[in-house]
Amino acid sequence: MNKVMTKRENISDKLYYLFRIAILVSVVFLFIPALNPVRISGMINKNLSLFTAGISYSSLTAEFGRAIKKEWVMESSLRLLYSSALAVCVGIAANAASGCMSLGNHKLKKLGNLVAVIGCCVELGGMIGIYVSYTQLSQTSKPDRVEPMFSSGYWPAFAAFALVLLLAVVQIILLARVRSEEKFEMESKYKLFLMFLPFIALIAVFAYLPLAGWRYAFFDYKAGDTLSMDKFVGFKWFRELVKNKATVKDIVNTMKNTLAMSGIGILTSWMPMAFAIFLCEMKNLKFRRFVQTFTTVPNFISWVLVYAIAFCIFSTDGFLSSMMVNTGVWAEGKNLLMNGDHMWIKMWAWGTWKGIGWSAIIYIAAISGIDQQLYEAATVDGAGRFQRMWHITVPGLIPTFFVLLLMSVANILSNGMEQYLVFENATNTSSIMVLDLYVYKLGIGKGSIPLTTVVGMLKSVISVALLFGANGISKLIRGESII
Amino acid sequence: MAKTAQEKADLKAEKKYEKLHKHKYRIKAGDVIFNILNYLVFGLFTLACIFPFYYLFINTISDNDLVLKGQINFIPRGLHLGNYTSLLNVGDLSSAFMVSVGRTLLGTALMVAASALVGYLVTKEEMWGRKFWYRFLIITMYFNAGLIPVFLNIQMLGLTNNFWVYIIPGIVAPYNIILVKTYIESIPAELEESASMDGASYMTVFRKIIWPLSKPILATIAIFGAVGNWNSLTDSLIYMQSAPKLYTLQHRLYIYLNQASNLSALMQSGGAVSEAAIKSAMSGKVIKYTISMVTVIPILLVYPFMQRYFEKGIMLGAVKG
Repeated sequence: MNKVMTKRENISDKLYYLFRIAILVSVVFLFIPALNPVRISGMINKNLSLFTAGISYSSLTAEFGRAIKKEWVMESSLRLLYSSALAVCVGIAANAASGCMSLGNHKLKKLGNLVAVIGCCVELGGMIGIYVSYTQLSQTSKPDRVEPMFSSGYWPAFAAFALVLLLAVVQIILLARVRSEEKFEMESKYKLFLMFLPFIALIAVFAYLPLAGWRYAFFDYKAGDTLSMDKFVGFKWFRELVKNKATVKDIVNTMKNTLAMSGIGILTSWMPMAFAIFLCEMKNLKFRRFVQTFTTVPNFISWVLVYAIAFCIFSTDGFLSSMMVNTGVWAEGKNLLMNGDHMWIKMWAWGTWKGIGWSAIIYIAAISGIDQQLYEAATVDGAGRFQRMWHITVPGLIPTFFVLLLMSVANILSNGMEQYLVFENATNTSSIMVLDLYVYKLGIGKGSIPLTTVVGMLKSVISVALLFGANGISKLIRGESII
Repeated sequence: MAKTAQEKADLKAEKKYEKLHKHKYRIKAGDVIFNILNYLVFGLFTLACIFPFYYLFINTISDNDLVLKGQINFIPRGLHLGNYTSLLNVGDLSSAFMVSVGRTLLGTALMVAASALVGYLVTKEEMWGRKFWYRFLIITMYFNAGLIPVFLNIQMLGLTNNFWVYIIPGIVAPYNIILVKTYIESIPAELEESASMDGASYMTVFRKIIWPLSKPILATIAIFGAVGNWNSLTDSLIYMQSAPKLYTLQHRLYIYLNQASNLSALMQSGGAVSEAAIKSAMSGKVIKYTISMVTVIPILLVYPFMQRYFEKGIMLGAVKG
C-alpha cells in the first residue's frame, strides 16, 4: 500500500510542474494585448490587454458610444462582455494563487486544488460569456463598422484554462485525504521564493520582455501595424544601415559626434582628480566645505534646468547680452545658444560644470584615506608641494581613476540623450546629434522603428562587448573585476 | 606655577625654532602665488555654480519692467512676488506640478520598500534558486534592449499615456538593491538568528530588525530616487505623447523654454514677427525664469539637509554586489 502511495505522489509531483506551467501561460494571456480573447470587435482597442478590459469598463467600451446610440450593438452584450472579462481575470488570479499554494505541504496543496477548480469554473464561465456576446455582436446591422471578429487568443486561452481544470481534478483524485491534525505549512525556501516572485515578474516584464521587440528589426513595421510573416524582410534593415546613402551619411555623422564627445570626456577624465587634489591643498576648511557644497549642486538639477540656466545667461536678453549692451561692447543682444560653432567643446563644458564637483567627491574620500605619514616623510626628505602631489597623492588615486576610466570606455556609445536634446536647435543639430538622440528622433519622432531597433541592438551588443573587454583588462592589470 | 630653569630654556628654544621655521615658510613666494591662484580659481568656479541661480532668482522677484530692460543683473529692485502668484493661473503648470510631486512621492516610496525587501530576500541563502534569481536581476543593469524596444513593450502593456508608467518600471532598481544587500550583510547575523529562534517569521524579522537597522542606506537611496524622479524628462516625453495632462514639470519647462528660443530665433533672423508676439515673448522671459525657479527650488531646499546622504551614496557606489 505504502509503495503505491509513493508512486502516486511521484506522478502528482510531476503533474504539478505541468500545472504550474499551464497557470503561467494563463497569466501571460492576462497581459498580452495581441492574445486578448475579449477582443471580439474591431472597435476594441488593439493595445487593450485582458487585464485592462477586466478592470475598466470605460476603456473597454471607449469607442462604442456612437454604436450604442445608433443601436448597432446592444449595451447589454457589452455589459456581458465586461463581466465575462472580469470573471476571467478573477479566475486567473485564483489559479495563480493555487499555483503558489502548490509549493506548500499536503494540506496547502489540497486547498490549492480546490481554489484552482473554482477559479477554472469562473474562468470558463467567463469564456462562454465572451462567446455569447460575440454571437450577439455578430448580428449587428453594421458589420463593416463594428467589425465582429474572433480573437486568435480565444481558443489557446480556452485550452490553457481547460488544462488547468483537468490537472486540478486529477490532483484531487491523486492526493490522499488530509489528516485532521495537519497544518498549513510551506518549506522556507519556497516561502522566500514566493516573496521574491512579484519582483521577478516585474524584472521579466520590464527588462527581459523588451528583448522580444528585437524581432521588429527583421520586419517591415510601421507604428500601429500588426506583425505578420509576409512583412518579414530578413536582414534588409541591417543592409540599409551600410548601403543607403542618406542613412550612411547620418550614421557616420552621428558616430563622429558620439565618439568625439565621449573621447573629449575620456581625455579630460583626469580633471575631477585634479579638482580634488587642488581642493585638498587649501588649508581653510570652511572655504573648502563651501566650495565642495556649491560645486555639487549642479549635479542634482536636471538637464532641462541646466538649459534654463544657459538660457538666462546666454540668450538674447540674458545676463551676458545685457551686460555687453549696458557697457556698450555690443550694439544689441546676441543669442549665443543659436550659434552652432564648437558644439563638442560647449557640450563638454556644460557637462563639466554640472558634474565635476560631484565626480571629485570620490577622489576627495580617497585622498583622506592616504596615510599622512607618507607626506610627513616626504617633507622631511625635502619634497616640495608639487612633488608630494605627484609622487604620493596621484599614485594613491590611480586605482580609483583606472576603474572609472574603464567604465567610461565601456560607455563610449552611451552619452545619454537629455543633454543633447535640450541644447539641440536648428543651428547646431548636425554637430550635436549623438547616437541616443538619433535613435530617439528617428524612432519616436519619425516612426522609423525597424531601423532604430537595429541601431539599438548593435549598440547594446557593442556596449556589452566593451564592458567585458574593459573587465578583462582590469582583471589582467589589477587582478580585480569591475563588474 | 613655578617653572624650572630647564623648562624655561626649552620653551625659549622651541619659540626660536618656530620663528625660524615660520620665517623659512614665509620666504617661499611660490607657495603664496600657488595659494592665491588656487583660492582664486576655486572661488571663481564656485561663483559660476552659484551665480546663475542667484541671477535667475532676482529676476523673478524684481520689477518686471526693469527685468525686461535688462537692468537687473546683480541687485534685485522693486521686489514683488507677483510672478509666482500669477503662475497659479497657468492651468497646465499646476497639473504638471501635481504629477511631478505625485510620482516623486509614490515612486520613491515604492522603490525604497521594494529595494529593502528584495535586498533582504537575496541575502537569504536558503531561498530556492537564490543565485540564479540574483544574477537574473543584476544582469539587467548592464544590458538593455534599447529605447525603441522598451517603448514598444510599454505600449504593448497599455502603459502609454498612463500615470503608472512613471511608477511601475522603476520599482525594481538593481543598483539600489545591491546597495541595500551589501548594507544588510554588514548587520550582525546574530540579531536575526536570535529573533528567528524565538519563532519570528521572515516578514517579522524584516519589519522589526532589518528595516529599522538599515534606515541610513534606505534614506540614501530614497533621496537619490526622489531626485531622479523629480528630474526625469525622457519618460514623460516618450510615453505621454497624447496625454498632455500627465506631463511632468520638467517636460512643461522644456516646452516653455523651447517656445521662447524659437521665437527669439525668428527675431534674430529678421523674420516677420508681429509686435504682439515680441511683447509676449518678452514677458514670456519672466514666466520662463519663474517656472525654472519653481522647478529648481525643491532641489535647492532639500540639498543642504541631505548633502551627507548624497555623499554617502557615492561612497557606497564604490562597493560591488
